[in-house]
Amino acid sequence: MLAGIATLIQMGALAWLVDQAVSSQAALGEVSVGIVTIVVAIVVRSLAQWGQEVCGQECGLRVKQQVRARLLARLQQLGPVRLASRHSAGLASQLVDQVESLEGYYSRFLPQMVLAALIPLIYLIVVFWLNWLAAIWLLIAAPLIPLFMALIGMGAQRLNEAQFQAVTRLSGHFLDRVRGITTLQLFGLAERSVEEVSEVAHDYRRRSLKTLRVAFLSSAVLEFFAAVSVAVVAIYIGLGLLGYIQYGPAEQLDLFSGLFILLLAPEFFQPLRTLSQHYHDRASALGAAEGLVTLLEPDVDDPDVDDPGADEANVVADDERPDKAESDVAELVPGAVRLVTVELRHAGRERILGPLSIRVDAGEVLAFIGPSGSGKSSLLQMIAGFIAPSAGAVQVQRYPAIAWLDQRPLIIQGTLAENLRVVAPCASDEQLRSALRQAGLGQWLASAPAGLDTPLGERGVGLSGGEGQRLALARVFLSPAKLVLLDEPTAALDPETERDVIAGLTRLAASGRTLIIATHHPAIMAMADRVYAIEAGRLSRVERPISSREVHS
Amino acid sequence: MKALMALRPWLGVLAERRGRLLLGAMLMLATLLSALGLLSLSGWFITATAVAALSASGYLDVFTPGSGIRFFAVSRTASRYLERLYNHDTILRLLADLRGRVFAGLVSLDARTLSRARASQWLNRLTADIDTLDNLYLRLMAPPLVALISVVAFAAFAAVFLPIAGLMLFAILLPLGLIATAGCAWWGWRASHRRVDRQERLRVRAIEQVEGLAELSAYQALEAHRELWRREEQSLLGDQRQLGRRTATGNLVVTLGIQLATLAVLLLGLTALREGNVSGPVMVMLALGTLAVSEGLGNLPMAFTQLGATVRTAERLNAQAELKTPMTGTSVKDEPLISSGAAPSLVYQDVDVAHGEQVVFSGLNLSIDPGQRIGIIGASGIGKSTLAQLAVRAFDPEGGHVEFNHQDLAGLAPDSLRARIGYLTQRSELFHDTLAANLRMGDPDASDAELWKVLAQVELKSWAETLPEGLATWVGEQGRQLSGGQARRVALARVMLRNSPLVILDEPLSGLDADTATALKVTLDAWLAGRTALLLGHDRQALPVCDHCWRLVPGVSGGKLV
Repeated sequence: MLAGIATLIQMGALAWLVDQAVSSQAALGEVSVGIVTIVVAIVVRSLAQWGQEVCGQECGLRVKQQVRARLLARLQQLGPVRLASRHSAGLASQLVDQVESLEGYYSRFLPQMVLAALIPLIYLIVVFWLNWLAAIWLLIAAPLIPLFMALIGMGAQRLNEAQFQAVTRLSGHFLDRVRGITTLQLFGLAERSVEEVSEVAHDYRRRSLKTLRVAFLSSAVLEFFAAVSVAVVAIYIGLGLLGYIQYGPAEQLDLFSGLFILLLAPEFFQPLRTLSQHYHDRASALGAAEGLVTLLEPDVDDPDVDDPGADEANVVADDERPDKAESDVAELVPGAVRLVTVELRHAGRERILGPLSIRVDAGEVLAFIGPSGSGKSSLLQMIAGFIAPSAGAVQVQRYPAIAWLDQRPLIIQGTLAENLRVVAPCASDEQLRSALRQAGLGQWLASAPAGLDTPLGERGVGLSGGEGQRLALARVFLSPAKLVLLDEPTAALDPETERDVIAGLTRLAASGRTLIIATHHPAIMAMADRVYAIEAGRLSRVERPISSREVHS
Repeated sequence: MKALMALRPWLGVLAERRGRLLLGAMLMLATLLSALGLLSLSGWFITATAVAALSASGYLDVFTPGSGIRFFAVSRTASRYLERLYNHDTILRLLADLRGRVFAGLVSLDARTLSRARASQWLNRLTADIDTLDNLYLRLMAPPLVALISVVAFAAFAAVFLPIAGLMLFAILLPLGLIATAGCAWWGWRASHRRVDRQERLRVRAIEQVEGLAELSAYQALEAHRELWRREEQSLLGDQRQLGRRTATGNLVVTLGIQLATLAVLLLGLTALREGNVSGPVMVMLALGTLAVSEGLGNLPMAFTQLGATVRTAERLNAQAELKTPMTGTSVKDEPLISSGAAPSLVYQDVDVAHGEQVVFSGLNLSIDPGQRIGIIGASGIGKSTLAQLAVRAFDPEGGHVEFNHQDLAGLAPDSLRARIGYLTQRSELFHDTLAANLRMGDPDASDAELWKVLAQVELKSWAETLPEGLATWVGEQGRQLSGGQARRVALARVMLRNSPLVILDEPLSGLDADTATALKVTLDAWLAGRTALLLGHDRQALPVCDHCWRLVPGVSGGKLV
């Protein structure tokens, strides 16, 4: 805004200077006021522009931060169970890259839109004061521009969507072929698929050119009007100055007003041209926003809102649970679990679990067995609080922590110590070492030159499946959690590491923690105090294959 | 300067299209010159008319400049439109070339390198990196070149009328151009170079948060992990803020420089005007021309503060190309395999293989006679798949050799070797294509009837018949529309269509239910007759009947067969 007014003053002073010099043959000394005005206007204009850019960017950065925070909160709200069906790399790219593409819209397009509405108006008023006929020409040209842009924009919108799909398919195709590269090599198709990849990319090029042809028309229209306006204004002023035009205010034109108008004519269109340059910021932000909004919206198949039957049950559960849970949980020792006539069903479908009731005391070891799909995992997820029961009550003391261990332990990028401290931020190095020893990683630690500072994750040392699992075990030892939920902890391991992990589990049980394990493994069943089979959603007690847990501890 | 070397291979790719690039740059130049012509000619015209009106004669040829103005108005629009269209076409062509190039590079990688790099995250990064490189020409190469040409041309033009003004334009605009390009690049280098990796780290944290949500929320440790996330986010935002500030400052310097140059030209013109060295219209023309020519400098600071990011992207793509193992380099002299279609023998002799520190095999021996069926069983990760990979020459052993029909594999072209081997890999890799297309990878000439026959052999016929689109059904990305067992059998059917004399099956029955597995064992038993076969599985039950079965067990120095 300030920059716009400064430009105005600069151009006015420039025109006055030239007028003085050419028409009145003024000496350099006589126009020094004009020169100083120009210099000041230039500096103010540049600084104002700087301010606009910096403020716009700050705004863009804040928006990104806020959107990311909301997305993370949404992911947490969705919970691990519903996120399981989504591609984590895809979600991460939404969180990082798509949010990134919002910035241009907020930092450049939006401020520019305000400017594009206001600044031409100011210029128009000045030109009108100088010469109303020229102003009327600008006035005619200016509204035509948004009109044309809107018309063309509508066509481009549809083409843009088609384009967007093409891009998605293109990178999908590329990813697909790269993933299967080994197979392509084995079948001798590598050469052919190289051609295929670039053929598909060329096909995409032809397709997107169709879009671009139309999309660029809009900016060409703008360009055309801007250029023609300058030309028309220049010719009109020139002829007016020569006295060829007798009509209207032409006779009042002098070099000052004429040059001033000419200098303002391109500036009049400049904000609009800048706006159209930022138009793709808007397009990509809209594309990204669509995906982000879908993620932020509540799910359609949200069990809480969908099934009327479940709904009813939920009302009951929700009404009763808080106070009941509170009072009961207060009585519950940490580590103890009570399920009261719990049921679980997916929206609109038959029951998966229940009704079932069970009571687990602190320090007990329970094993659930059953074929895959029987609901073992769902039961654990319910106890952990990842999913809410459709009916009944789950009573668990979830604070300060419960421990969760499945087949894919979380390994964050960072050092070994950082990986452990995620669950116990205040633990001392000695505590970390002791937890690692208890989890069976003592030798591994001794052989790692960097010790606790060994980097893990993508760029660090890769851990084998068994080592990862034992790292997860070390977390359990480290955390204050009294209740440990384990979902098939040994399913992906070979016999030797399996033995190590089971030994770690035995030590866990010996430390007085409650273990609830979904498993197929006979050795784990053997260490359990109670074993239940899940059949058709019901629990039935099974006699243990080998008699007692003492054998192992 | 050394850092820019990372761009070299990619400049090479650009150079292949240099004709198009040059033409595109010419169009850019034409656009800029049209704008220059329009504004300076208009300024000249108006001043000239004013002067003419003041003077007694009052005559001026208005038609020549008038049509000049109209011409520039139209040519600016036309050249701008053409320039954008043409240059985008060029960029898309380049991207197609780049994808092809990178893919060809990946195809020549060996299996071990590939398996290290298969994470889909890595792949997403790869695609994104390629797309980033399009900046190189459209923002970093053509605009500064066009700006340079137009500045030099205009300064020379000005020098014709007023030598001192021309000199001054050189003296101000050339250093300004240098500041806008090299200066901004240097100033934004560290932050933009780092930003690429910081963004990547933020992505990693996001993945951790999604994949580890169960563990983190159970431990009530989400907040602790968020803290890590926030730290990465802050440093990323910090970089971006710094870059934005520096871009804005770069713009500030460029705007100031341009406007002051305009003023300086005007003042020089004024002095000359008083001395009668230059006419009023020309003075105005030069001043307005300076304003117009600077349009070419305006976008440079923004593009060049981001140079570091483009270079970092190129570095990452280069690093991926360097993953290549030397083996592919020798493939030129490899001879094609000469062999009849009869069942061959396969011999491993004193084979040593190590993955980094870890010894997989040391002095391993295994001999499979023509037509013999050997099973290898052992725990996962012990090296069964390595045996198969050696046989298809996915990589060469560190010591000893592998012989196919008494020919050492080390001298054979992998393609001719692989044409004789049907290898079912442990993962069922299906492509986002139709069922028929996936099957025809095994035999491109197979008829529909043959496809149905092989589907019947793997017990998939009745399922395929229930599909509304039959063989034309799309199997989804990585075959996700199919169950694990179905995908396994499609992959097996593909190998069977290959009809090769040597067959390697790695866990052929994994993911199948007991009934289907039993049925397939019978089918495979019949189909394998007359072929040499190497069968790999975690236990005997997981394999069809073998002539002999070895167990691969871990030893002090790598796996041993017992």
